[in-house]
Amino acid sequence: MKPRTWAFCLSEANQNLLRNPVLAIASITTTAVSLLVLGVFLLLSANVNQITTNIESQVAVRAFFDKSTTQAQETAALSTVRGWKDVRSAHVVTAKQALAQLKREFGDQGKVLNSLGSANPLEDSLSVTAKAPVDVAPLAKALGKLTGVVRVSYQSEVVNRLFNLINGIRVVGLGVGVLLLLGALLVINNAIRLGIITRRREIAIMRLVGATESLVHWPFILEGLILGLIGSVIAAGLAWWGYSALYTSAARSLPFLPLVAPTPYASDIAGVLVVLGVLLGAVGFRLSVRRLARV
Amino acid sequence: MQLISLRNVSKVYPNGVAALRGVELEISKGEFTFLVGPSGAGKSTLLRLLFREEVPTSGVVMVNGHDVGRMRRKQIPYLRRQIGVVFQDFRLLPQRTVADNIAFALRVTEVHPREIKRRVAQVLELVGLTERATAVPSQLSGGEQQRVALARAMVGHPLVLLADEPTGNLDPVNASEMMKTLLEINHLGTTVVMATHAAHLVDRARQRVVAMEDGQIRRDELAASYSEGVVR
Ligand SMILES: Nc1ncnc2c1ncn2[C@@H]1O[C@H](COP(=O)(O)OP(=O)(O)OP(=O)(O)O)[C@@H](O)[C@H]1O
Ligand SMILES: [Mg+2]
Repeated sequence: MKPRTWAFCLSEANQNLLRNPVLAIASITTTAVSLLVLGVFLLLSANVNQITTNIESQVAVRAFFDKSTTQAQETAALSTVRGWKDVRSAHVVTAKQALAQLKREFGDQGKVLNSLGSANPLEDSLSVTAKAPVDVAPLAKALGKLTGVVRVSYQSEVVNRLFNLINGIRVVGLGVGVLLLLGALLVINNAIRLGIITRRREIAIMRLVGATESLVHWPFILEGLILGLIGSVIAAGLAWWGYSALYTSAARSLPFLPLVAPTPYASDIAGVLVVLGVLLGAVGFRLSVRRLARV
Repeated sequence: MQLISLRNVSKVYPNGVAALRGVELEISKGEFTFLVGPSGAGKSTLLRLLFREEVPTSGVVMVNGHDVGRMRRKQIPYLRRQIGVVFQDFRLLPQRTVADNIAFALRVTEVHPREIKRRVAQVLELVGLTERATAVPSQLSGGEQQRVALARAMVGHPLVLLADEPTGNLDPVNASEMMKTLLEINHLGTTVVMATHAAHLVDRARQRVVAMEDGQIRRDELAASYSEGVVR
């Protein structure tokens, strides 16, 4: 089509929007709200993910050796463990180091430990960190099977809860987001349908005088795209601006809780929202094609 | 070669009504043809087959060498650009001006704006509405509205003009004006096929008359009148 024909289609699309402003506003609002909810959940999920990984990397799995284990056996176990692919890092903590650490952690009260004299009740151990939270439980199990290991400890409760939390947020977020998107799709679709009905005379005349089907379709495609685009730009803007503000204030007041940086993550999400919005408009049109054929 | 030819054409609507039954008809370039006959005879159906608003149930409909019934969907718009159509109910766009209504037909077929301007002025002249170019349809009389519809049908320089009861909603004065314009258009070279109940207009025009009844052609005479054997 020629540029002036695109201009014609665009002006027809605009007229549709202006002729049914209530539905246009409803379409834009529902699109914006649903995409915003989706964006918020994506951002939330990314942050929970990051926080868990942070905590996780600090939570090491400890495999304690039997008192009778020789240093050679311990070194052998260490190199075996380092060969596993879900292991981020591993090192031996001797009973002596463990005691020293304990004394340090207790601070002043640690002096009571001096009463132990040269006796050390602690065991040598392997301190192992996993690459991902998912790997922790199987890793602990595998460590328990090593020769000389008598018990394994890790904060499985914390890990599991965080796990469930992330998954919960993902499922709920995705579910709510998808439901809202379907709602937005319905509203956009209705706006386009109403446009088709209000313009049926015009469509009939276009066909009568020999307009191609693509010329008949494009004003409605553009209408869908415009609705989706405006809605998604609003959502993306709000998500981006809101998150940046949150990030700045969080960095000031909660420095120990590092959030995911807005760039590139939030800007990527904003981009995804816009793409989704445009897609929503396109699908909204696609659902009305049969209606358009029957005019 | 005939501009229009129907060979053994039948049309049965989905509801089972047989609107046309074995119609044979040839119309040459430059002819003026009246389609007459009682209500339900199949006149409108025949016209609708010509611009592919409907497809024949059987038989062949040819327009300007194209098998209209078997034409591919993509080609329909190009067929319609060669056919002008006028209806009893005008079918104008109420929010657009007279000039816009006419230009609309050219804009959607991607004609150059300068050419559109030229041709719109030309057809406005032809139908005598140059003065009313900026009026909207609601400000026009029925006769004027029908002339706008006629201008829109003619602005693409069609090979054939189909008119389905174009004077059906007009008073006698406007009807006879419209008839005069149609004959003039035909005189300028456009083939015209007009379905009508207006006996006096048919009788006065002394053109070819195709009389239909029950989906069949009962009579086909040159320089004829509305009713058989009547000479007025
Ligand atoms: N779209 C349709 N669906 C079903 N039946 C139809 C349709 N259009 C017309 N018919 C039927 O086909 C027959 C022929 O109709 P058509 O409109 O061609 O007649 P006509 O000669 O134009 O009549 P009139 O003078 O009243 O305009 C009629 O019985 C009519 O009821
Ligand atoms: Mg009819």
